[in-house]
Amino acid sequence: MNQITHRIVEAYTGEYASGKSEVAVNRALELVGFGREVTLVDLDVVEPCYALRPIKKELTAKGLHVVAWETRDTVGLGEAGTILKAEARWALRRSGDIIFDIGYGVEGARTLNLIEGVDEEPSLVVLAVVNTSRPMTGSVRDIVEHVLMLERVDGLICNTHLAEETTAEVVQEGARLVGEASRILGIPVVATIAVAEIAEKIGSRDAAGNPVKAIKRYMPHTFW
Amino acid sequence: MSEKPITGEKRVFMTGNEVVAWAAVAAQAEIMYGYPITPQNEIMHYWTRLAPKFNKTFLQTEDELSAGFTTIGGVLAGKKTFTATAGPGTVLMQEPLAMAEMMRLPVVVVVMQRGGPSTATVIYSQQEVTLTTFGGNGEGFRIVYSTATHQDLFDYTIKAFNIAWKYRMPTFVLGDGYQAKMREPLTMYDPEERGVELVKPEPYVGLPGMPGEERPPGHYRNTYNTEEELNEVVNDHVKAYEQIQNELPEHDEFGTENADLVVVAHGVVARATKQAVEALRAEGLNIGYFRPITLRPMPDQALRAMADRTKKILVVESAQGQLARLLKESLYGKTVEIVPLFRPGVGVTPEEVMARSRELVA
Amino acid sequence: MAVQPAMPRSWRRETKPHKFCPGCGHGIALRVLGQAIDQLNIQDRMVFGCDIGCSLLAWDFFNVDTVQTHHGRTTPVIVGLKRARPELVCVAYMGDGGGYAIGAQHLVSAAMRNDRITVILINNTQYAMTGGQMAPTTLPGQKTETSPYGRDPDMTGHPTQGPEMVATITPESAYVARGTISRPKQLHKMVTRALENQIAGRGFSFVEILATCPTNWRTNAKNTWKFIEETMPTHFKVGELKVPEAFQAAAGGEGARADG
Repeated sequence: MNQITHRIVEAYTGEYASGKSEVAVNRALELVGFGREVTLVDLDVVEPCYALRPIKKELTAKGLHVVAWETRDTVGLGEAGTILKAEARWALRRSGDIIFDIGYGVEGARTLNLIEGVDEEPSLVVLAVVNTSRPMTGSVRDIVEHVLMLERVDGLICNTHLAEETTAEVVQEGARLVGEASRILGIPVVATIAVAEIAEKIGSRDAAGNPVKAIKRYMPHTFW
Repeated sequence: MSEKPITGEKRVFMTGNEVVAWAAVAAQAEIMYGYPITPQNEIMHYWTRLAPKFNKTFLQTEDELSAGFTTIGGVLAGKKTFTATAGPGTVLMQEPLAMAEMMRLPVVVVVMQRGGPSTATVIYSQQEVTLTTFGGNGEGFRIVYSTATHQDLFDYTIKAFNIAWKYRMPTFVLGDGYQAKMREPLTMYDPEERGVELVKPEPYVGLPGMPGEERPPGHYRNTYNTEEELNEVVNDHVKAYEQIQNELPEHDEFGTENADLVVVAHGVVARATKQAVEALRAEGLNIGYFRPITLRPMPDQALRAMADRTKKILVVESAQGQLARLLKESLYGKTVEIVPLFRPGVGVTPEEVMARSRELVA
Repeated sequence: MAVQPAMPRSWRRETKPHKFCPGCGHGIALRVLGQAIDQLNIQDRMVFGCDIGCSLLAWDFFNVDTVQTHHGRTTPVIVGLKRARPELVCVAYMGDGGGYAIGAQHLVSAAMRNDRITVILINNTQYAMTGGQMAPTTLPGQKTETSPYGRDPDMTGHPTQGPEMVATITPESAYVARGTISRPKQLHKMVTRALENQIAGRGFSFVEILATCPTNWRTNAKNTWKFIEETMPTHFKVGELKVPEAFQAAAGGEGARADG
């Protein structure tokens, strides 16, 4: 991964509460770790909490450029609604890698249309994050239906977990379901994600033969 | 026929609002009428997403007045109908709820509290306790469950429909923006598979037979001519509520036996409180925990018994004494000292509760 | 033996004589509605909702399932009911204050959604039950308890043109009319159509009825009649404003005209 020469542009999309922000944050920090210039863009225009805002300072301290509102700069968030930060619209004009964290909604995936130059961006990869512990994406059929609704998806990420109750079995069962959905959809599974200790138990490949990637959970700190 | 929403028991990971929508489906609710307001929106979002799959009805009304009154219409039609709201929406909702109280209509309302007064903040608060328990121009003939976990939200949403239709009383699930938006695992289940009987709804209007000939017409009103007439109706409500006060109060407590201090909190604040009390007890301090689950009716008997066994009570809430007022009413005549830890409109951490508790038993 | 006036089958005899004032227009409006219920044979599958104001005196008027609601809120109760049980014929009965003032947002929203309900609104130019205050329908210069020097349109606006508003915001499948109790035959046709349109599942159906209120108008029989026959129609045009094609075809293109 650290030999990549071209710029990386990734957009993380998926179901409400599927872990898009978590995966995006981990990916952005991973790239920073490779010594790359990285901008993380919060495109969650709906959710007043559980977005990147509360951990913006922490992430900035780690060397990330974060394009996100500060909670105190927004009035009646989630009420006055859909507020796109002007900086976010022009994010693709920045140099370096760009990671988009896209919010949910029936038309959530289309939020990308708000970004200038998105249609001409050759490096763009759209990744759908799936947690099979969520009832809306709890079966192969539901996952397939859901991903088809998202329009453009270039890869799947299995982020199956039950917070602190997660076990290797829970992740593996998710990996099997996402693997099966991937075969039906013809869309590859880019990775199965798990916290370090569980990722270690599973090994480098999940039950469906897809790569396993260890992450750290930052998002629980966005709330309390 | 639509397929069964939940079979078997499943451990799932969700936000609180989604839990409510799934629980309403599991409770075999048929209709939701609602108006958008943060932080309850995803209840409507998920209800509408599930609606075609399970043959459910939804209407986004013109305001919360309409949401409340259409919910009354659904109930009169004999369907399990519910709505959800918050903040200024809860204020508007009081008018239909007063009608439901007067006519004993089993409407179910989910309140996801937000900051107040006025528009305030969109995420979190416990400032709708007074409004939910005693709002409206009446006597508070309502049943209110205050939930703390996602499992509570699932269990008590199902229960709310049962209790509403069993006792014919407006019934509330009182959550808050934290619960609405936070994510945690819970077990979803089909209540009937667990042996929980689902109370069947019955229509008030549109019954078989020619009204006035084969059956009396259903004539329902909330207006009375004389004071005596009204007094009789309200007295009937009082009697019905006495039964509810005997049968429905629920609470959770531990360590209250001869405690030096008992910490009282409800809803999501009870989570921080529970954590704090457990830590303090591990340190060897003689501190207990009490959480009323029903805020209307309050668990009076259990509270009064607890008050006899403790030296002091610390009441913790994200409001300026709305729970404390209910508590004092329950403990009228008791001499136990009640100490406040009021944080209106903001969250309470276990550390704050621990620090204050230590001071009180020092 | 005294001759009893013919009473619609759907009227509840036990609650007659009714409690409206002598000369009140509600009695005629409810007789017309009762006859329409009989004629359409819907007594055992309808719900009648009445508002606050004098309309609430109709809460036990019919041998029909009835719900008396809050001021202005009959429309949403009936909307909630109809959507829950589409097979029922649901009528919301209210006054001009309930429909055009406190409940205006409900009337407008139900009309715009084309809810399959029938709204019957009594226009007697003031709030009657609360003691004769100014209503949205009070005529310019008309004295009421809250317009003691006469309604000043510059300060308080002109009388609400309810059916005209509803006709503007509803689709072609809606039925909208303004009748008057002084033309019961024409009114009967309108109320019947407003029910039939709902039964056929076509759309929102609305009839405003010009009605007398001699008690608050403080008028004798002659002047009461003069006010409803001559004065009110100069501000409120009587006739059908919106008639779905199905009716026009059935009637050979002839609607219930203003002179009906």
